[in-house]
Amino acid sequence: MNIVGISINHRTAPIGVREELHLSPAEITELVAVLKEKLLSGGFILSTCNRTEVFGIQKDGKVDFNRLLNELLQFKHVENLSAKNFEKFFSCSAVKHIFKVTSGVDSLVVGDSQILGQAKEAFQLAEDLQFTDSVIKRVFDVAIKVGKRSIKETLIGEGAVTVSFAAVQVVEKIFADPSTKSALVIGTGETGKLAATHLKELGVVDLTITNRTIARAEQAAKFLNCNVVPFQNYKDELHQYDIIFSATSSEGYVLTKDEVQRAMKLRKGNPICLMDIALPRDIDPGAQKIDNVFYNDIDSLSVIVDQNMKKRKEEIPNVDKIIVEEMINFYSWYNTLDVVPTIKSMREFFEIIGTDELEKIKNKINDEDFEKVEDMIRRLLGRIMHNPTMALREVAEKGTNTDEVAKHSLMVKKLFNLNGFSPSKENAENKNSNTIKS
Amino acid sequence: MLGLIHTLNIFLLFAYLITTFAYLSDFIKRTDLLNNAKRVFLFITIGIHLFYLLARTIEFDHLPIINKFEIFTLLAFAIAFSYFILELLSDVRGTGVFILIISLIFQTFSTIFIEDLVIVPEVLKNRLLGLHVISALLGYSAFAMSAVYGLLFIMLYKQLKLNRFGLIFSRLPSLESLEKLSYYSVIIGFVLLTFAMAIGVIWLPEAFPNASLLDPKLVSTSIVWLIFGVGILAKAVGNWYGKRVIMFYLTGFVVAMLSMLFTNMMAKSFHVFY
Repeated sequence: MNIVGISINHRTAPIGVREELHLSPAEITELVAVLKEKLLSGGFILSTCNRTEVFGIQKDGKVDFNRLLNELLQFKHVENLSAKNFEKFFSCSAVKHIFKVTSGVDSLVVGDSQILGQAKEAFQLAEDLQFTDSVIKRVFDVAIKVGKRSIKETLIGEGAVTVSFAAVQVVEKIFADPSTKSALVIGTGETGKLAATHLKELGVVDLTITNRTIARAEQAAKFLNCNVVPFQNYKDELHQYDIIFSATSSEGYVLTKDEVQRAMKLRKGNPICLMDIALPRDIDPGAQKIDNVFYNDIDSLSVIVDQNMKKRKEEIPNVDKIIVEEMINFYSWYNTLDVVPTIKSMREFFEIIGTDELEKIKNKINDEDFEKVEDMIRRLLGRIMHNPTMALREVAEKGTNTDEVAKHSLMVKKLFNLNGFSPSKENAENKNSNTIKS
Repeated sequence: MLGLIHTLNIFLLFAYLITTFAYLSDFIKRTDLLNNAKRVFLFITIGIHLFYLLARTIEFDHLPIINKFEIFTLLAFAIAFSYFILELLSDVRGTGVFILIISLIFQTFSTIFIEDLVIVPEVLKNRLLGLHVISALLGYSAFAMSAVYGLLFIMLYKQLKLNRFGLIFSRLPSLESLEKLSYYSVIIGFVLLTFAMAIGVIWLPEAFPNASLLDPKLVSTSIVWLIFGVGILAKAVGNWYGKRVIMFYLTGFVVAMLSMLFTNMMAKSFHVFY
């Protein structure tokens, strides 16, 4: 199979370089048009923040990575990159790489589930741009299946692998139903916004944010659909919150132990969860000593992240098994493509014989008898062709020895003298007498 | 019938072993298959146990409350059954191993030492006594379950306070869930114990006309009842939460166990039948 591919990813290039080659959907549409015209009969382009990949089948049947690479570099007007920044794939290795990508094992964060959605979008765009054929479509389908099976059958996507998500995981260990709790996020930088998003995803309805610059807090609140409390007031209502995330760039503590202690008195000992995801720390770690105060900082949350990453990496062999299984299935299907023309020729050969013979008796018997004979011949031919058809398919589906497939195809062709047999020509000659339908 | 009872007695031990092992395996390494299979094992074990208890009752013509080892098998059943109902209602499946291990221990002793009893002391033939004993046993089973959930709560609480994220952290339900399970178990236990005490008060003058209301068993049980009653009120009305209320329940359970030991082994009470 002449599928070729190039990939620039987190292993081969730093983020700055990868950014230069990032392609928007509009750019992909434009590049596909160029590739269709010059180089590929079908394929797809996947571009995310961690990778840009171009895969396809060359029109001329050749394998030329450099042409593919040059087309990409010329399109993006990038000059300072060399072939070393790209991984190259061909045939089996290309298919395997695509499956690895959709399964998440090739991601920067192993088991990243986002990549499956991104791959689906890339495949859909290729289909919309009519940049696919039956083989590429099959690769898409199996790649998606690999991604889904990996999530369902292994633990590759289990556990939090970011600090803010790990914090949410701890919250879930304290409260049975976090959606009924009230939460406060201090700081609306990237980390704060991400934490607020995770809390929203957790179902927290009563979410409030605060920031030194009130305008930024209001902007974030609009985006997150949550409440805002002015920075100078949030300490007065600290006791109202069950969950507090802090992610400011403040040099000192924004919450001291005494302030937490005061809030706990007002809460009558009801538990509070303090997640300090700032560096330097925002909350006095001494607060941890207060009963029913659950305090975590980046260091302790990183322990969860590391544990989960380790577990995910341990799942890679299980994902590899799925990839191998699906590759076997894919190549079983692919190998049958080689015998399809032979099977088609054989069936048409027999159909023509049947049609010829029917033609000979057409005027010698009445219509009712003719229909009976026609039926009988159709069934007869079906039964004769069943075993050789199945045998050819079986040999092809084993997919381990392509010579064996060729040998069987040649044998059938020789036995029935199918070499040089042109079904379409014969069909044209017999067009008027083609009464048998396979 | 006797042969069937003997076979079931041994089979039950293996059934509890398999079920507890399934819960343990699932706790250590969670899989979808075990997660569903363990509940089926428990259901089958409870079914067989119920059949065994009925068979004993019919064959020996008395409820299985006549000696310690009959009580043990009844306790094993009561704990497993109560846990099964609680698991169905709460859908918290990760704590079973800690509860079922108690059933397994009771059933092991019962399987080894239980005898076929046909002669029953006259005082234990009363139907009210049957109700009294069964409701008290179910009540104490519920207190035991509450204690297990309380201990699990304390374990998880400490892990969270110390920022340790091991097996306990990843497998146990949330602190709030554990506290709720402990609380519900205490409520069930309290209701059943109240029922048992009420029947006892009705039955007492009939069975023991000269028994004193200051009998150590009655006094200690009343103290246990009072502790759990206050614990329930503290949570329901006083809005107590977390470690404080859990420690209260655990204290109640320890007092209950100590009082049982004291009244059965040391004190002179009319309430010692075995």
